[in-house]
Amino acid sequence: MLATIPSAVLIGVDGRQVSVEVHVSNGLPGFTVVGLPDAAVRESRDRVRAALLSSGLPWPLRRVTVNLAPSGVRKGGAGVDLPIAIGLLVASGTIDPAAATGLAFCGELGLDGALRAVPGAVVIVEALRGHTVVVPLANVNEAYLAGADRVRAAATLRQVVDALQGRRPWPTPDPTASAPPEDDAAQGPWPPRRGDLSDVRGQRLARRALEAAATGGHHVLLVGPPGSGKTMLASRLPDLLPPLDHDDAFEVSRIHSVAGLPLPPGGLVRRPPFRAPHHGASPVSMIGGGTSLMRPGEISLAHGGVLFLDEMGEFPVPVLDALRQPLEDGQVRVVRARGTVTFPARMLLVAAMNPCPCGEGGAPGACRCTPAARQRYARRISAPLLDRFDLAIRVDRPAVEALVGEGTEESTMTVAGRVAANRLRARTRGVRVNAELPGAALGELVPVTGQAEALLERRLRDGSLNARGLHRVRRVARTLADIDGVGEVVGEGHVAEALLLRCRRDILLGADR
Amino acid sequence: MALPSMPYPALPFAPPASQPLSEAEAACAAALASLPGMTPVRLTKILGGGSPVEAWTALRAGEHIADPDHRFCGAARRSCPDRVLSACREHGIAVLVHGRAGYPTALLGDPGAPAVLFALGDPSVTQGRDGVAVVGTRSATPYGCQVASELGRDLAGAGIVVISGLARGIDGAAHAGAVRAAPGAAPAAVVGTGLDVVYPTENRALWDALGTTGVIFSESPLGTGPRPRVFPARNRIIAGLARVVVVVESHRSGGALTTAEAAARRGITVCAVPGSVRSPASRGTNGLLVDGCVPVRDVDDVLVAVALAGRGRDMPAPLPRSGSLVAARGPVSRRRRTAGGRAVPETARERAASVVSAADAKVSAADAKVSAAVDAKVLAAVDDVPTSIETVLTRTGLRLPDVACACERLVDSGVLRSGDGWWART
Repeated sequence: MLATIPSAVLIGVDGRQVSVEVHVSNGLPGFTVVGLPDAAVRESRDRVRAALLSSGLPWPLRRVTVNLAPSGVRKGGAGVDLPIAIGLLVASGTIDPAAATGLAFCGELGLDGALRAVPGAVVIVEALRGHTVVVPLANVNEAYLAGADRVRAAATLRQVVDALQGRRPWPTPDPTASAPPEDDAAQGPWPPRRGDLSDVRGQRLARRALEAAATGGHHVLLVGPPGSGKTMLASRLPDLLPPLDHDDAFEVSRIHSVAGLPLPPGGLVRRPPFRAPHHGASPVSMIGGGTSLMRPGEISLAHGGVLFLDEMGEFPVPVLDALRQPLEDGQVRVVRARGTVTFPARMLLVAAMNPCPCGEGGAPGACRCTPAARQRYARRISAPLLDRFDLAIRVDRPAVEALVGEGTEESTMTVAGRVAANRLRARTRGVRVNAELPGAALGELVPVTGQAEALLERRLRDGSLNARGLHRVRRVARTLADIDGVGEVVGEGHVAEALLLRCRRDILLGADR
Repeated sequence: MALPSMPYPALPFAPPASQPLSEAEAACAAALASLPGMTPVRLTKILGGGSPVEAWTALRAGEHIADPDHRFCGAARRSCPDRVLSACREHGIAVLVHGRAGYPTALLGDPGAPAVLFALGDPSVTQGRDGVAVVGTRSATPYGCQVASELGRDLAGAGIVVISGLARGIDGAAHAGAVRAAPGAAPAAVVGTGLDVVYPTENRALWDALGTTGVIFSESPLGTGPRPRVFPARNRIIAGLARVVVVVESHRSGGALTTAEAAARRGITVCAVPGSVRSPASRGTNGLLVDGCVPVRDVDDVLVAVALAGRGRDMPAPLPRSGSLVAARGPVSRRRRTAGGRAVPETARERAASVVSAADAKVSAADAKVSAAVDAKVLAAVDDVPTSIETVLTRTGLRLPDVACACERLVDSGVLRSGDGWWART
């Protein structure tokens, strides 16, 4: 007898529908899986057998062939355990084929017959359009994101079989866990997760740069000696970002689901993610890829949120240079011999590094690194990568007065409120954030006063600003003017400030150069 | 650092009737200097003031008295003097031998003078003129570089040969200043590497400029890379060539201090440019001042030191000192005379006032008043040593856009320098 059960496997952050064909025939008892299975799929035979027996279901002592169609696509993961088991039961006559019509299955089986969660349930349910999908109960929240009306959940194989045989209804998931994502109360601004911005004493320049980065989506580079608070500042950035809107949240949830990251209750990731990979990261772990399963890299896990590269100077140069294209395109195409996968990767990049190998490159003349060593260190950050940063500032150890005085700094909540309002303003200009303002429209969207125009012209004439830099400065000036709420025309002060905050190579080379 | 008192009295010397160097002698001298394992001391012993050809022949034959264990015998047999010389000629490099024609006369009385010198450019630029060494740290502050460059320019304008090491930082700045002095004495450099190895590479343009208008000396044979021991060794030549050594900036320990020490041993005047007591790059120079070195505020102080150092010395064909002093004051136009006749530089604050008045003309009166006040406030918050933007923000209490605006104005008027997150007065 033959049974065909629809299921789906993950390819990158997309689901690919596969048909699990199970054929049970007379012959020498055996179990074969064909159709480019990986090790996890091939091992499913043993899991399925144990699960069937533990659930009190018969294991056919006949020749069983399982084919995963289309056979040209490599299948990975344990998500096809459940469809294989159901296929077996249908093919061996335990379940009526009519009962399984219109249903698709995914889930990993435990030896005791329990259904275990699989990564990427959102994507799998999404790929199985037109089917009612049976998923493990642990995945039900994320599965609901893709369509609550066509999801059935069960905790064990026995429950699935009982429901299919009509003996019991489908179990209803816990109502608290299955709250519809739209009613998600978490609309922000939330209490900060990683310490409040008011904990940062002094550092007015850095706070200003952080707010500009959060508001305008400008990548920011913090350069300073150890202990100056770079990491502290960077970790406060994600809490300044407004909650993700529904489309973004769904996309982020998909990526996190595929990567197997824990999702918040309700399933929808509303808070912008924060990823801070260690500098030992490999290119594949940053960009995405891998052997059988194309896993999203850190830049995709930070999609919609913040990617923090602490000690950027210590990252391998190939890793840093691999970031250039995703930073430009907002997505990354991972190409392997087996196929090509596109991961979304639109994040806010915050990088921190020391000014020189000894780290002390504080006041000019204080650092005893040789100029050659310093140049070598600075060269690790290629000019095209440095070019992606709209903001770059030096962070120094706060002055004593700032540390001992009364802290009157603004809190994360205050700044986050302003950021959210200003981001809405950017929307009226037709972009998500000011960093995306098209160069052609800058003249119209960022009108500047005569004095500011004259200042820019002076800087262009003395060669300290080029055409590309001019665009960046105008975008940043727009953001700064938005923050201060001065209206549409940008004044000289904000242009000068944007000039001050812009990224220049000599920020890495120190004042001596 | 305590400087040794003069163990070597300034020797009066009679320049020997310098014989010209024949082709064969030059070839043998170059080949001797290029032998692997050769050091300045060994070379002096082997050459011994005699004929390079004789020394070479004896060395090859294994009969040289200064090479009893035949250390250089094998290498000398494998080497071909003509080929060494033609390699030098290809690069336009001259070979100078101690006591023979073309050798810098300033070095003749020097106890540590190199027996053989390679020279790129015109070695005669050092003859008949006073030399002043302007040296300092490689990791210099903008302040140090600027002072070195100004000293180099003004000294060259006063007809003084500016001698330095063509290194990064102070040395390069001094040379760059000297090269820029439009009618001025050509500068001289003493480098540690071979003359075909440009080091540091960022000074290539300067290197070329000195090779054409001035002279670059080296006692290292062609192809010698930047090895650590060659640099302290060349410092003694810098000291020997100079009549006065000016240390512009130096860390607590550093190559510039070895030059100062070598100069002190030779009884050569050492001057130092004072710096901020907070600046680590001035720790060495401030230490020198405590030890009794002559402080240098501007080129006049150096010229006075040169004039004093010239007394009692029997140097051939010195320039008229008074002439050079007058010449020095010529190009330094932005000085005012006080009643005492000393040149006093305008302060940055005074210049700031003129900036503000320049800005007045541009903007409306009310705006100008506000921005002038802001400018003055910002300028007051910036130290002479580089100051971080954060410090300026804290000191002034102003908003960042205002501070940024003032900064741009002050930079435009040349009162402030900014770039990489640091601001300093010019």
